[in-house]
Amino acid sequence: MNGSGVSGFARIGPALPLGLAYLAFFVAPLFMLLAVSFFADDRLTVVGLDNWRKFLFDAFHWKVVADTLLLGLKAVFATVLLGLPLALVWRGASPFWQRVLLFVAVMPLLTSVVVRTFAWIVILGREGVVNQLVLGLGLSPEPLRLLQTEFGLVVSLTQIEMPLLLLPLLSVMARFDPNLLDASASLGASPWRTLFRVVVPLVAPGLAAGALLVFASATTAFISQSVIGGGRLVYLPALVWQQAMINANWPFAAVVAIVLLVSVSAVIAVIAYAGRVAGGHAHGTAA
Amino acid sequence: MSFTIGRRAALMGAAALGVARPALAAGSVTAAIYPGAWEEAFREHVAPVLKRQHGIDLEMQGLFAVDQVAKFAASRGAPPFDCFVLDPGPRITAIERGQFERFDANRLANKAQLPDGMADEWGVATGAQVVGIAYNPKKLPRPTGWDDLLKDPWVSKLGLTGFGTTFGTVSLIELAKAFGGSETNVEPVFTELKKVLGKIAAVGAPAAMPGLFQQGQCDIMYTNTQTVTTLKDRGVDIEFVAPRTGAVSFITTLHIAKGSPAVDNAYKYIDAAISQPVQKALSEAPYFFVPVNKGVALNASLPMRSLDEMSRFVTHDWAKINPLRAGWIDRFNREMAK
Amino acid sequence: MARRRSPAEISYALVIGGLAALALVILVGPVLVVLATSFTDSRSIRFPPQGFSFRWYELLLDEVRSRPIHRAAGNTLHVAALAAGLATLGGTGAALALAGLRGRWARLADAFFMSPMVLPGLAFGLAALMYFTLLGFRPSLELLVCGHLIVVVPLVLRTVGASLSQRDPALLDASASLGASGFHTFRRVTLPLIAPGIAAGAFLAFMASVDNVPVSLFLSSARTDMLPIRMWGMMESTLDVRVAAVSGTLILVAFILMLVMERFTGLTRRMRG
Repeated sequence: MNGSGVSGFARIGPALPLGLAYLAFFVAPLFMLLAVSFFADDRLTVVGLDNWRKFLFDAFHWKVVADTLLLGLKAVFATVLLGLPLALVWRGASPFWQRVLLFVAVMPLLTSVVVRTFAWIVILGREGVVNQLVLGLGLSPEPLRLLQTEFGLVVSLTQIEMPLLLLPLLSVMARFDPNLLDASASLGASPWRTLFRVVVPLVAPGLAAGALLVFASATTAFISQSVIGGGRLVYLPALVWQQAMINANWPFAAVVAIVLLVSVSAVIAVIAYAGRVAGGHAHGTAA
Repeated sequence: MSFTIGRRAALMGAAALGVARPALAAGSVTAAIYPGAWEEAFREHVAPVLKRQHGIDLEMQGLFAVDQVAKFAASRGAPPFDCFVLDPGPRITAIERGQFERFDANRLANKAQLPDGMADEWGVATGAQVVGIAYNPKKLPRPTGWDDLLKDPWVSKLGLTGFGTTFGTVSLIELAKAFGGSETNVEPVFTELKKVLGKIAAVGAPAAMPGLFQQGQCDIMYTNTQTVTTLKDRGVDIEFVAPRTGAVSFITTLHIAKGSPAVDNAYKYIDAAISQPVQKALSEAPYFFVPVNKGVALNASLPMRSLDEMSRFVTHDWAKINPLRAGWIDRFNREMAK
Repeated sequence: MARRRSPAEISYALVIGGLAALALVILVGPVLVVLATSFTDSRSIRFPPQGFSFRWYELLLDEVRSRPIHRAAGNTLHVAALAAGLATLGGTGAALALAGLRGRWARLADAFFMSPMVLPGLAFGLAALMYFTLLGFRPSLELLVCGHLIVVVPLVLRTVGASLSQRDPALLDASASLGASGFHTFRRVTLPLIAPGIAAGAFLAFMASVDNVPVSLFLSSARTDMLPIRMWGMMESTLDVRVAAVSGTLILVAFILMLVMERFTGLTRRMRG
């Protein structure tokens, strides 16, 4: 790769156009966001920390931050709870069924997020699919309230984000040595023990990679949050939207956006780190 | 070297796409419009007239009045649309902030058909709105007053929206009055809402309310008559009720955005919107807009028989409400949050 | 394996199988519900749909009444084609360069280029809006292309990067030792090897742009309306049955495109990788 006397510039040259595009359309806007947050008025004439103060010294805003991060974690938990078993079934399936399952897992990723959100309105509504089942089976005298609840939102996010978890998870799962499982079983370990002691540590890197994508996507899913969640569930993206587009208060919107950026990145860093540690540990012992 | 290929391919690709690029017609005008019934009505009746008579394409952006004023402010000199459609409150704010071009009603071919006082130096009226309570008669008994909204059995089916729109603001003000508040004191609304918050069926964005009603997510809400008739036309069980203290009414106006690059087209759009055939079409099923054109008789299905009747309706002093409104919007969003 | 099953094994099979089945229902159910709803004969969205008709698809084709939807779809395709095209060129170049780097800098550069994938898109969308507005630009499709480019590039980087890493270094050495120039080696050896990766990346980038909400939310306007944003508007306000018809169309197109891409590039395998 590094032979034939190619200069360093020629090697990184092909990355230059994209690098420049990133500087102009990615790095510069983010710096602009930071700069705007330090103005005190919405006409951007007075510099000041007023909007930072307004955000940081208000318990309501902190609750919104916490709710947003919790929503992300709940989505991660739900996708793992359902996605991991699906991945296990996939692993044991015949090549034909593996292809079918993979296709099914990926399919939602390619149907628009807005379409998937729309589907959940039809399913979770007061007169929706679930409630018709529940009433029809006599499970409840009253229709359940599913739309405009966090439970409903998490369920819909589970579907919307699950492919993001499955893809990296399946790729790790495809690689690990089936003999390990047989070995574990032949040593008399129950399947549960094998799952938690052998499988989970082995797939931890894939699980972490998927989890952070799910987390990132769920915390920024403005349309799902507002359409399924409704007006009583307030998360950071709604706050960004309200401040930027309805109140036209750009500095405050910038502050909220930066808080979203920083808090989400922090959690993502933790998930990535946990994945690395678990992965390193598993590979260390398995080797 | 690979760059040359890249660039050539990019140019070719761009050229190929240039053909597919949606061409912007020589003449077009972008108008902000209220989402829902208004957008549908203008698309069906105003856009074709504008296209047929002047070859102008009408682009519409669904925005409520407050959002239009905010969006204009955020655009910093590059107006996001050429025309506003506003209610009294935001209209005053927009005038204060210098968001309108001066309006010359003499440029309207249909000026003579406007009733007196329906045009001024800032814009022209396009219709009157009537706001009251809408409910599902198959699921709920008929409510009689604003205070019924917060009582059983209505409260557990109530769909609530905040101060972000004119219909939301006036309804909540009337609700406050029913509990001892006034135009400038909506405190009772917050106190009373807090007591029943757990029971309320849905809290949504203003634009989401018709959808929530249609899905049966809520069976009673406050809204304007146009929304009620459009939903009814779609087969939804919905009826309009004027509360015993009276329904609310206000005039909706059209304005040209400051710095609009298409002022001439904007006048043609406004002219088309107030013309006799369009106003007549809008005043009929399923929209039932209250017309502002001397050539259109107000028919029996409209919520008012003549514009003189406006005095029988509840109206508000927006000069007093405007300074308080931003605070109300913010407070509502917070207090409704779980 | 055919031996008596312990309670642990039974519970394992039941729980894991049950959860997996639930996962499948949750993944597939909504897609089927949308498809079914779109063929309803009634004027409002209800499930189960009443009657069967193509009326909403017909209305969707109506030149006059569905013009805003057509315009939004046209804009969306235009932006997606340009953004995916540029992302494929830029992303392939960057992936080639990154594949040649080693050590700490390589990891940093990789993290930098991949970061738009995990950063909240909404924050970036707002940043882009402020940036372009304060520089004096009016909303345009070109700005949307710039914004989309950033958020879809990581998909190209990932698929191309994965196919580059599977390339056999011995092949390159052989080519070089036979006196081939770097460019010749690239065109004759590397490019054919990574072509499926590039195609898969381009496809994913295109689909991601078509689907993008967070950036379009801030950068689109009445003149540059985008399909997901228009659909959101329709969904939130009027709950027009055409939303279901648009959704049905999108599902069908995605399904066909995916089958085609699977056939030619082994798409799902690449997405996994």
